[in-house]
Amino acid sequence: MTKVQLKGVRKDFGAFTAIENIDLEIASGELVALLGPSGCGKTTTLRMISGLEVPSFGSILFDDKDVSEVPVQDRNVGMVFQRYALFPHMSVEKNVAFGLKVRGTPRPEIEERLQEILDVVQLNEFRHRFPAQLSGGQMQRVAIARTLITKPSVLMMDEPLANLDTKLRGEMRRFIRALQKRLGITTIFVTHDQVEAMELADRVAVIFEGHLAQYDAPDALYQRPNSIKIADFMGATNIFNAKVDASGQAQTSFTTLKLGPDEIGQGSRNASVILRSEVIDLLLTAEEAPADNTFAGVVTAREFFGATVNYSVTCGEEKIIVTEQSRRLVEIGQQVWLNIQPDRIWLIPEAA
Amino acid sequence: MKNPKPPELARHRRERLWMMLQLLPVFSVLTILFGGALVLAVLQSLGFAPWFGVNTFPDFSYFGALWGSYSFWQSLALTLYYALMATFISLVMGVLLALAMVRMFPGKSLYKYLYKLPLMIPYTVGIALAVIMLGNGGMLSRLAAFAGLISDPSEFPQILKTHYGWGIIAVYVWKQAPFVTLTIYAVLLGVGRETEEAATILGASRWQTFFQVTLPQILPGIVSSTLIIFAFNIGAFEAPFILGGGYPDTLPVVAWRYFNDADYTLQLQGMATVVSIALIASGILFTYLALYRRYERRIGRN
Ligand SMILES: Nc1ncnc2c1ncn2[C@@H]1O[C@H](COP(=O)(O)OP(=O)(O)OP(=O)(O)O)[C@@H](O)[C@H]1O
Ligand SMILES: [Mg+2]
Repeated sequence: MTKVQLKGVRKDFGAFTAIENIDLEIASGELVALLGPSGCGKTTTLRMISGLEVPSFGSILFDDKDVSEVPVQDRNVGMVFQRYALFPHMSVEKNVAFGLKVRGTPRPEIEERLQEILDVVQLNEFRHRFPAQLSGGQMQRVAIARTLITKPSVLMMDEPLANLDTKLRGEMRRFIRALQKRLGITTIFVTHDQVEAMELADRVAVIFEGHLAQYDAPDALYQRPNSIKIADFMGATNIFNAKVDASGQAQTSFTTLKLGPDEIGQGSRNASVILRSEVIDLLLTAEEAPADNTFAGVVTAREFFGATVNYSVTCGEEKIIVTEQSRRLVEIGQQVWLNIQPDRIWLIPEAA
Repeated sequence: MKNPKPPELARHRRERLWMMLQLLPVFSVLTILFGGALVLAVLQSLGFAPWFGVNTFPDFSYFGALWGSYSFWQSLALTLYYALMATFISLVMGVLLALAMVRMFPGKSLYKYLYKLPLMIPYTVGIALAVIMLGNGGMLSRLAAFAGLISDPSEFPQILKTHYGWGIIAVYVWKQAPFVTLTIYAVLLGVGRETEEAATILGASRWQTFFQVTLPQILPGIVSSTLIIFAFNIGAFEAPFILGGGYPDTLPVVAWRYFNDADYTLQLQGMATVVSIALIASGILFTYLALYRRYERRIGRN
């Protein structure tokens, strides 16, 4: 319900620049993930949006209005802290009800909303416990409940799912997503797990060392990263230098790849090609392969993950990772042929 | 069904024995020096002092005489007033200073050294400073006269040697506010800023944040530091003796006068006064601690 904009925001801590000139626009009701390695400035960005930290330069706008002068209390934002920041001297229910109590919400309404949210985060049986008597995951859920109960117009979560087990993590993700959709809360979600970012977010903002490196929908970010660094961070493994010519052919050290129609007629240049491991077909005979973009190799290693298998295939000097559903298992040492469709190859120009 | 008690391991028994041995020196010092003195004081105040040729044990007349006199209650009121007032002001100032110190302000690093200064200077020096600064003909009165606020230093309002005890309280606060700051500052560093920030984001005002989030977390520090300074204040002697307003004196000064009297049988009266101070102080501190324990249990701390 609130559109959030960061315009040329920069944050210095003394001589250290944590955030350098970020422009970010988060549409009303959108769920955006801030993704980046540790120390890149995700928490700092959230703290500036919440008002706990004042930007050194630039401005932050809620619904096109500059909020520099709006005190933290009046911004109606919610924040789930990375280290929970629960009130240690209050029981779970007092922690959760705190936000309503200080706003002077009538007691019956507090009771009702408290009950509702405790059911949602499944903490009803722990309502009289103190934070010190909870597990990490339970504390995290208290922190989430404490924030959600105030119905913030901008919700910020700093790695809210980091301490949960896989099952609860999935449940909490779906819960956050459903609630966010239902209430239409503009949500900014910090994570350094790219899978989580892609699953949850409408758009993902990747931050590297205080720079906004790319801001895109999950599929675009995954399939069309704008730099090698992002491709790498998003888990791409097969990145190779190539010479691209005007006819749309990419010359790599192991083969010549035909590129999609978009790349034809752009002049010759140096670039990196990205071959996503899951779009490469692994074939056991040369006959069944299409004529284009097929090249030979030998399986040199195999990693079994249950549902999927990763093969390392050595082609010439290079090693190419291929991911397959584990319907069959190819033996190490087997001669194979790899094929990739031209329009599945992503090209990153040299400079990036 | 009762759970069977696990047998005590020999290793644990040895450890316990060793711990007791280690505690022995402390215990003996406490029992002999402290406990022995207390027992003697109580015995004397009840008329047992054969070394003065007095032995009317058990004799409650010393307490009777003391508690029966109006001036005792006046003295008690004065003692409590100075002690409570100084403790309260030190507490408020100390907490405010500690809160300021966890935030950024210009000159903070210099201030962090400055505020500890009174802790290293003895009380007597503080008292002397008070005389020099606050007395009639002292610095303040001269400055006021110099600034033309009063025509002569002697017209300066009497601060010392009145029963309002501003001088006494000033010296206590000067010394004890830094002590409270030191204690609370350490506690605040441990508590961190995050819970305050969380409260602010949840919509709490400054007051609500302080009283509902910060204060409960620094309460252990507040209780222990006020306990120490109050116990000192109620038994302190030099400041009220030098800066006080004369009769009626505070209880420690009253006790001192008895002890110093040429009539040594008044020693027993003095002992009764000392024991009274001890009783009252421990009564108050015990109640204070009991109330705090009750609060702690209420918020679920063990
Ligand atoms: N108050 C501060 N003073 C000085 N430097 C700070 C301060 N807060 C953060 N930094 C620095 O700014 C950078 C960004 O910090 P931030 O907490 O935003 O990282 P993050 O992206 O949240 O990392 P993580 O994923 O590990 O939580 C870090 O290098 C950090 O050391
Ligand atoms: Mg962080």
